[in-house]
Amino acid sequence: MAERVLLRASNLTKRFGALVAVNNLSFQVKEGEIFGIAGPNGAGKSTVYNLLTGVYPFEGRVEFEGREIAGLPPHKIAHMGIARTFQVPQIFASLTVGECVDVGSRFGCPGGYDRAYTSEMLDFVSLTDQKDRPTEQLNLLGKKRLMIGASLATKPKILMLDEPMAGSNFKEIQQLMDLIKKINQDLGITIIIIEHFMKVLTELTKTLLIIETGTEICCGDPVEVTANPKVIQCYLGDAYAEN
Amino acid sequence: MDGKRRILIMAVVFGLVALLPIFFGGSKVIMHILIMCLIWSVVASCWDLIMGFAGIFSFGQVAFFVIGAYASAIFSLRLGVPPIISTFLAGAVAAAVGVLVALPCLRLKGAYVALVTFAVHMILAPFLKSNMGRAIGTGGAQGLLTIPPISLFGYTFQNAEPIPFFYLTLVVAVICSLIIILVIMSHWGTAFLTLKDSEDFARALGVSALRYKLMVFALTSFLTGMIGGFYGHYVGMLSTRMLGIDLFVTLMIMLVIGGVGQYPGAVLGAFFTVTINEMLAPVGSYRPLILGAMVLILVLALPDGVVGLIRSLFNLGGRGARAGGRMK
Repeated sequence: MAERVLLRASNLTKRFGALVAVNNLSFQVKEGEIFGIAGPNGAGKSTVYNLLTGVYPFEGRVEFEGREIAGLPPHKIAHMGIARTFQVPQIFASLTVGECVDVGSRFGCPGGYDRAYTSEMLDFVSLTDQKDRPTEQLNLLGKKRLMIGASLATKPKILMLDEPMAGSNFKEIQQLMDLIKKINQDLGITIIIIEHFMKVLTELTKTLLIIETGTEICCGDPVEVTANPKVIQCYLGDAYAEN
Repeated sequence: MDGKRRILIMAVVFGLVALLPIFFGGSKVIMHILIMCLIWSVVASCWDLIMGFAGIFSFGQVAFFVIGAYASAIFSLRLGVPPIISTFLAGAVAAAVGVLVALPCLRLKGAYVALVTFAVHMILAPFLKSNMGRAIGTGGAQGLLTIPPISLFGYTFQNAEPIPFFYLTLVVAVICSLIIILVIMSHWGTAFLTLKDSEDFARALGVSALRYKLMVFALTSFLTGMIGGFYGHYVGMLSTRMLGIDLFVTLMIMLVIGGVGQYPGAVLGAFFTVTINEMLAPVGSYRPLILGAMVLILVLALPDGVVGLIRSLFNLGGRGARAGGRMK
């Protein structure tokens, strides 16, 4: 049986004045997969997330479960089942860890507030013992777990992670990779991940999209994609691509 | 600090205030000061809610107060609406203006919101004095005189008899404080805090920035406008003098002393500032200088205000404690 396409982006284009940040980009994410997006700094990866989550208006189409989401505000897109995290951890400094995860369930969960599920998600991201602590007291890994936990509390169908490994050491990267796999396998949530660490992407993803200056270079199996001369050239320059 | 503790503190504060006429009821001056303390405590609390909790740099609080005062006076003077009803109508007018002001502010952040809202403050006085203002009954440069007092169940609350008016004001201030506490502790309060701390993440988690920002503007301008109308019926006359910079700065001092985002600090700040302001009356032109120096010292020594100090001394955590001192 063919896998169902959960999210389909067609001819996405975003211009900031004369700068074309995303240029005619098309891709599709199948239900249950982990889909990777990579590219050099400034390639437009985070802009793609901002387009998919309603932060910026754009040209083109985005369909989620067959429904057009272009023009919807971010909170409505969240209610549809699209959650995201940010490259720089965003936390609510005025709240405790437990309250922060609660926000996802209280405001983003389409079925209404679910206290039991909130506790479950706190446990899922291993923060139950810290639920009464102010969020600011968490370390970087804790803040990343918290962002993911709050996003999961919205009961998303798709979770978009923006460079979750940034600033992490090898041990933390392994822990985060395990968490991402668990989210995908145990909760059945489709994941899109933007990442710079190719090892992470080749290990986690089923499909990898490489973009540069907002344009697709190639898309497909991560092992094949990383061996593509165009990708090597884009990351390491002409000399490496020729070798 | 949880809701029950907040309500307990407010019950103690307002309970003690309720006893004051026993000792000072004979002095009209002191009773007037107490009434003004209660009125300004509502305005300062509303400002704290929008700025300290929702993180919106609205500088239009005095403008909403004056809009409410004028609206209630016009309703009662020109249309014959009973003052007790016109104060609520004035709240509705201020809320409508608040929502109109909020709409352009939704696309702005930080200092730009302050500029837009302060622009409303700045244009209000010329508008009230203009022919357009006169046409709607503002009285132009002369202002409004002979504003009728509030009557309730056949009793008229004259400012010449301050004790009954004091208790009426106390009831209004208690109701407003309860509303503010309930909002802070409800999911509205949570939404306000999330939008203040990280609007992008809050929206990604399903918080509607449009809805909650409009709500906080509407609620705070409603309560401020209503208490403004109440003030107009208490003093009996209005002029655009209130829109001078003095009152705006005094209100800001109330917040700084109490602690921004440290509710019920704003209430304590209002009582402290109004009292000190009156006590400094004999020093005349040195009053702003002394007040200014006091604010400078307090900001440096107590960045989270008096309530922030109390919280840290007694290790009281909670929503208010973390809400304060993180203005963006």
